[in-house]
Amino acid sequence: MSGSGKGRGRAAFTFNIEAIGFAKGETLPEVAFKPPPLFPPTDFKPVPLKMGEEEDYMLALKQEFRASMKKMPYFMQKEDENQGIEKYSKKYLQMRKESMEWTPDWRRLPREMKPRKKTKKGGKTKKGKVATPKSNVDVLKKIEELEKKGDEEKSDEEKEKEKDKEGEEEEEEAGNEQEEYDEEEHEEENDYIASYFEDGDDFGAGSDDNMDEATY
Amino acid sequence: MTQAEIKLCSLLLQEHFGEIVEKIGTHLIKTGSQPLRVIANDTGMSLDQVKKALCVLIQHNLVTYQLQKRGFVEYEASCSRVLRILRYPRYIYTAKTLYSDMGELIVEELLLNGKMTMSAVVRKVANRLTETMEDGKTMDYGEVSNTFVRLADTHFIQRCPMAPETTETSDAPPPPVPTLAVNEKDMYVVPNLNLIGKGKRRRSFDDEDDGEHKAKRQKQDADSKEPPPDDGIYWQANIDRFHQHFRDQAIVSAVANRMDQIFRSLPAGYNIVKQILDQYLTLLADDPLEFVGKSGDSGGGMYVINLHKALATLATATQESIVQERFGSRCARIFRLLLRKKHLEQKQVEDFAMIPAKEAKDMLYKMLSENFVSLQEIPKTPDHAPSRTFYLYTVNTLSSARMLLHWCYKSVANLIERRQYETKENKRLLEKSQRVEAILASMQATGAEEVQLQEIEEMITAPERQQLENLKRNVNKIDASENQVDETIFVLESYIESTVKKL
Repeated sequence: MSGSGKGRGRAAFTFNIEAIGFAKGETLPEVAFKPPPLFPPTDFKPVPLKMGEEEDYMLALKQEFRASMKKMPYFMQKEDENQGIEKYSKKYLQMRKESMEWTPDWRRLPREMKPRKKTKKGGKTKKGKVATPKSNVDVLKKIEELEKKGDEEKSDEEKEKEKDKEGEEEEEEAGNEQEEYDEEEHEEENDYIASYFEDGDDFGAGSDDNMDEATY
Repeated sequence: MTQAEIKLCSLLLQEHFGEIVEKIGTHLIKTGSQPLRVIANDTGMSLDQVKKALCVLIQHNLVTYQLQKRGFVEYEASCSRVLRILRYPRYIYTAKTLYSDMGELIVEELLLNGKMTMSAVVRKVANRLTETMEDGKTMDYGEVSNTFVRLADTHFIQRCPMAPETTETSDAPPPPVPTLAVNEKDMYVVPNLNLIGKGKRRRSFDDEDDGEHKAKRQKQDADSKEPPPDDGIYWQANIDRFHQHFRDQAIVSAVANRMDQIFRSLPAGYNIVKQILDQYLTLLADDPLEFVGKSGDSGGGMYVINLHKALATLATATQESIVQERFGSRCARIFRLLLRKKHLEQKQVEDFAMIPAKEAKDMLYKMLSENFVSLQEIPKTPDHAPSRTFYLYTVNTLSSARMLLHWCYKSVANLIERRQYETKENKRLLEKSQRVEAILASMQATGAEEVQLQEIEEMITAPERQQLENLKRNVNKIDASENQVDETIFVLESYIESTVKKL
């Protein structure tokens, strides 16, 4: 019917190509097969920033505001696990910060926002007591038995440490996972997993069968 | 909420409140209102952390809560309010220009803490001002209160919605959510406080003699036994009022630029003779900018400022300037032509702009690809055949304003990221220089010799110093850029807002 174009099999546009400005038969610019570059070169450089007293003062205000916000009790920093080098100074910085604890006006907030200390404490101690035996009952027994002879003090210390940790964490209202993790961390002061060896076994003594593995 | 806005909000929250609050705030912005447990589940954080973070966000007016019909509470974050954090330095500076240092500190304290009682604000500001004064002098509470009252009178600060009074003998259990009510009449009413006192200097922690005094003073300051007389009455900065002020400033300066000569010759006081005033007003009203219009003759002539037109003109001027800086002055000429003539065909553009055809086409397509101009199709025949359709170029100011606003948000987010990257790269060097400064300060305090001081200073080598200076210069530049992009954001936002609200 209508609009067959120049001929079959030949590319034709549905409009008069002269309308956009390309002469008939002229080579069309290439089609781009990739996204535009991330930092395209610009012909025009940006206008320089406004300078002046007002701008300088606002810049100073901005930087001071940011610095003040970081010192406020509202700034909640994520607890880094790998403190690494800077432990000593951090201890003093945190002491100063915690002296500025902030409590919101509970009358203005929904009831569920207020941390319920009493029920939490009861729940925690229960959970704590239940959790410790469940996951660590064997380990604790082993520690006591293994170290009865020489390191009685050490095991007591560790038990005390665990209890202290529990006490602290009740106040800090940390999650259960953290509690367990810290207890596990403070079980032993060496790197060996305590449950690796059954009690009563000496290292290497039981494996001295007819094999010569001990030489490894 | 566009991706760019969410990204910018998350960066601002992280810089000012830390990562925990950032995570929860960003989550709320993305998902809309959610109850407490769902937030904890989705973000994977413990309930306590979520509670603390929400308290902080609510304190700073970034999150609101609502009791749903089924009995649980939902929390909603306001993305636009978070973006205002970018403008805080401008608010503080405005307060300084209008009410000097006291006003500046009052507004700064209110912005730092979200909301505060008047007595707390006055006390803190007096202490801060006392620190800067000479030894022996203190700042009186009365002066600070006066400035506070003035700020409230001009509505730059306002009262927060009040929690209901709790009666001691209520049988019913307290409701899960306090209903905060806003009493329009009381919003700027200052409580009748008799604040007598003076600012106190913060003594250094090394002072052992004052150890006892410090403990006593802390007890008095904390007011732990009795609540302050204005307990429960919280104040916050009134952001909308500041915006009004900025808008008025922008319009005034735009008109002033236009009528430069006349304004220069205006006498300083307002004792303008009526005739001259009439002339000026007529000039303003007849100006093609249409900022001022004459709406009647009662009382000698009623003049009105056309705010919507004024904002639109400001936004358009911004767009023109952006086109000029990005594409060149010829493109800008085409752009302005299209603004005036609304719709033009390609041929007409070439003729009116007096630019050769090929260049004109090239520029038009460049602008089209960046969405500054758009094509309007007008078919001649019902089948919309391209060869028989008019294609008109036009500029849609509203949609290109929205696009530019989106660009602005992206730019600021990029700037903040770059600044954080620069700081992180040089973290070790920064910490070292801080330590050296601390050592120097303590040594100077204990009276060290010049030689020793020089030794400590030399701990930072010359190339390191150079590096530090470069870092400082870059960070300052980026910060200043953020401030200035925010000015553009303000103009564009005001314009878009004025078109949305149909009164």
